[in-house]
Amino acid sequence: MTTNLLSLRVASQHLLAPVGIVLASMALPAIANGFVLFQATQVMVFAVAILGLNLLVGFSGQLSLGHGAFFAIGAYVAAILMGQYDVPYWLALPAAGVVAFVFGLLFGLPALRLEGVYLALATFSLAIATPQILKLSVLTPLTGGSPGIAVSKPQAPLGLPLTDDQWLYYIALCVTGAQYLLARNLVSSRSGLAMLAVKEDPVAAKAMGVNLSVYKTLAFGTSAAFNGIAGALSAMAVQYISPDSFTFYLSASILVGLVVGGVGWLPGAFFGALFVLLVPNLAEGLSKGLSGAVYGAILIALIFFLPSGASTFRSASLLRTRRKP
Amino acid sequence: MELFVQQLVAGLSTGTIYACIALAVVMIYQAIGHVNFAQGEMAMLSTFVAWQLMQLGVPYWLAFVLTVVLSFGMGLLIERTLMRRLRHAPPLSQVAVFIGLLLMLNSAAGYAWNFTVKPFPTPFGTGPFLGASWISQHQAGMLASTLAILAALVVFFRFTRVGLSMRGATSHPVSARLLGIRVQALEGLGWGLASAIGAVAGMLIAPIVFLEPNMMAGTLIYGFAGAVLGGLGSPAGAVLGGLLVGVLENMAGTFIPVIGGELKLTLALVTIVLVLVIRPQGLLGRKLVHRV
Amino acid sequence: MSHLLEVRDLAAAYDRTRVLHGLSFDVAERGITTLLGANGAGKTSTLRAISGMLRREGQIHFAGRPIGRLGTEDIARLGIGHVPDGRGTFTRLTVEENLQLGSVIRRDTDVIRQDMERVYAYFPVLQQRRLQQAGTLSGGEQQMLAVARALMTRPRLLLLDEPSFGLAPRVVRELFNIFRQLNQEEGISLLLVEQNAALALSIADSAYLLETGRIVFAGTAEAVRQNDGIRRAYLGS
Repeated sequence: MTTNLLSLRVASQHLLAPVGIVLASMALPAIANGFVLFQATQVMVFAVAILGLNLLVGFSGQLSLGHGAFFAIGAYVAAILMGQYDVPYWLALPAAGVVAFVFGLLFGLPALRLEGVYLALATFSLAIATPQILKLSVLTPLTGGSPGIAVSKPQAPLGLPLTDDQWLYYIALCVTGAQYLLARNLVSSRSGLAMLAVKEDPVAAKAMGVNLSVYKTLAFGTSAAFNGIAGALSAMAVQYISPDSFTFYLSASILVGLVVGGVGWLPGAFFGALFVLLVPNLAEGLSKGLSGAVYGAILIALIFFLPSGASTFRSASLLRTRRKP
Repeated sequence: MELFVQQLVAGLSTGTIYACIALAVVMIYQAIGHVNFAQGEMAMLSTFVAWQLMQLGVPYWLAFVLTVVLSFGMGLLIERTLMRRLRHAPPLSQVAVFIGLLLMLNSAAGYAWNFTVKPFPTPFGTGPFLGASWISQHQAGMLASTLAILAALVVFFRFTRVGLSMRGATSHPVSARLLGIRVQALEGLGWGLASAIGAVAGMLIAPIVFLEPNMMAGTLIYGFAGAVLGGLGSPAGAVLGGLLVGVLENMAGTFIPVIGGELKLTLALVTIVLVLVIRPQGLLGRKLVHRV
Repeated sequence: MSHLLEVRDLAAAYDRTRVLHGLSFDVAERGITTLLGANGAGKTSTLRAISGMLRREGQIHFAGRPIGRLGTEDIARLGIGHVPDGRGTFTRLTVEENLQLGSVIRRDTDVIRQDMERVYAYFPVLQQRRLQQAGTLSGGEQQMLAVARALMTRPRLLLLDEPSFGLAPRVVRELFNIFRQLNQEEGISLLLVEQNAALALSIADSAYLLETGRIVFAGTAEAVRQNDGIRRAYLGS
């Protein structure tokens, strides 16, 4: 009898925070203006991107400094489909994810042969080369070259009393929720466990028959898909994309968000996204010219004093509930 | 044919730039076993310091020497304060710190000296070298300097005790300690040397690409490509790789129509990935043999 | 008579896990001491503790000097040559470079050259493979290289961690003959960690038996050999 009550209490303590947050976010448009909603949407966009990178780094043990490239692919696919082929946004989003997935697989294949510093180098180069690839004159008819493409914001369906900003916010909320659940399931599924095994001890995993290559490549593809969807959402929110929106700084931000949130901890993605979006503004407030330096300094300080990022605090609450008799 | 030779030589001269950076990258890699993504920014900062000294009236060669010494100190400082604490951190944390460093240096330089492009003097003169139209005196000087640094490094690693100790320390730090080698001190030395080489690279490149906080952004990638192509463990490979990348980039740009001037960075990317996948030890690196 | 190495109440831990719980033992000048025990008994940890590779407490005296607070490099420079488990050869460097690294902190270049020749005399196969990459050597050859490299530091005490591991019997016999020679002709003391108890006892003069981080038996090699209980458990008779 007491054990049932206890487990109910524990369960409710665990669920309280997430349910509360979800309810609060659903209510946000009622009290917030367009700009705040835009910021909130951006936070979610980054959270999805960071979730994707987390799947790659935290759960399959690979590294990537170039995920901005997949973000860009998703953004461009969505923009082109919606702009040039009149594809509705609710098709363009998953399409962006699929295309990014394919590119992720393609990059994941050679990445199999690379480890540690080499993989870092290769993905770093990918990040730096991305804007230039996007500016290729061969592709300009599609991509619009340097000037970029304008993207139309999805419109709320007729009958619903929502502004476009609010509608997009809800779309982002749904997508983010779906991606989060997908990530959770992937991680605790058999494939997820296999990926963790790969990360912890590749030799042992191989010996037990886990097909390394398949899992690592799939991990790359999946994480790319997440970033592609994030990119598509971002394109719709900002309503404009150009090659210079996707510099190394983007890939660096996703990585920073991952580190701040805590590698291997899914909810950390939200903390990471908040950090990445708010701290640069903060830094600029502190010192306009030195904002990059302040950002860099905060990042370094975090690595030193809080290397597990926000995830350092997660076990604290678990411990508290466990200790109660 | 004449076009071919012309482009070949032009490629070689841009290649010297890449060779110089590649050398600094390999130096750091030899010293600490990591690739330093902030290498370019460190070099850029050093070059600004040199420029500032000259603005204050310091003659070129004195400014050059002072800058090299100061850069050595900067590298040492970074190792002592930052990198030392990261020994046992996961690779992701180390990469994140490099990125933080990159951002800090770039922003600091922009703040101190703003983003306008500045000319940087060359000690070699700007006229054609020995009358030849395809190579300037500066380019010749650059090539000679790079080769000189390379020679010094080869001698250092092959024939000096400190160089050998450094190679041992990066190969297997625990074993090195058990032989009484002060691994930590050597890392500091390695960072100092790499930073100094980067400073020289920056001062050699600046007359051509002009001095501004983002001057190293594009060139760094080519430097990496050169280092990887030549083999991350080999200084000679770095120079060879850098030169090759310069030639490749130029030749591809001239003779393959689609590429033109646009795909250069992509070419660097592709080079890096291909080399790392097909022959990770590069052209001159020693293949790592594992007997289980 | 004081010993070359005196260890009292040595305790050590990896992070938060204690592995040694108050060991006390000695190695005599020109002596060969062996630490025996099953896997996980703490033998390797003991050697690592002496070399300062773990967090440790207790007193360790080497030639009368306390070394319990010194760093690994300083301990090595005092004359303790540690040949770790897993050999730890510099695989990317040549055999000769490995040996040179053994003497890299020394200043006496002439003596170093002589030492190199003496080491090659002990291990002729290394001389044959002088310019080969160390990673291409067989297991036995790498073990010899690791020992030779430690010899180049001119140690007074050699810490040997499971030198017979993974080696063919013939190679092992050769190696242990060399150990005996090093001890008798060069006067080098040995602290030998071995799972192969019979082998270790064949050259040691004193022995200690470890179980889960504690010494459970101490005595001369002969006494250990005679002890029925130990014989049955560790020597298989």
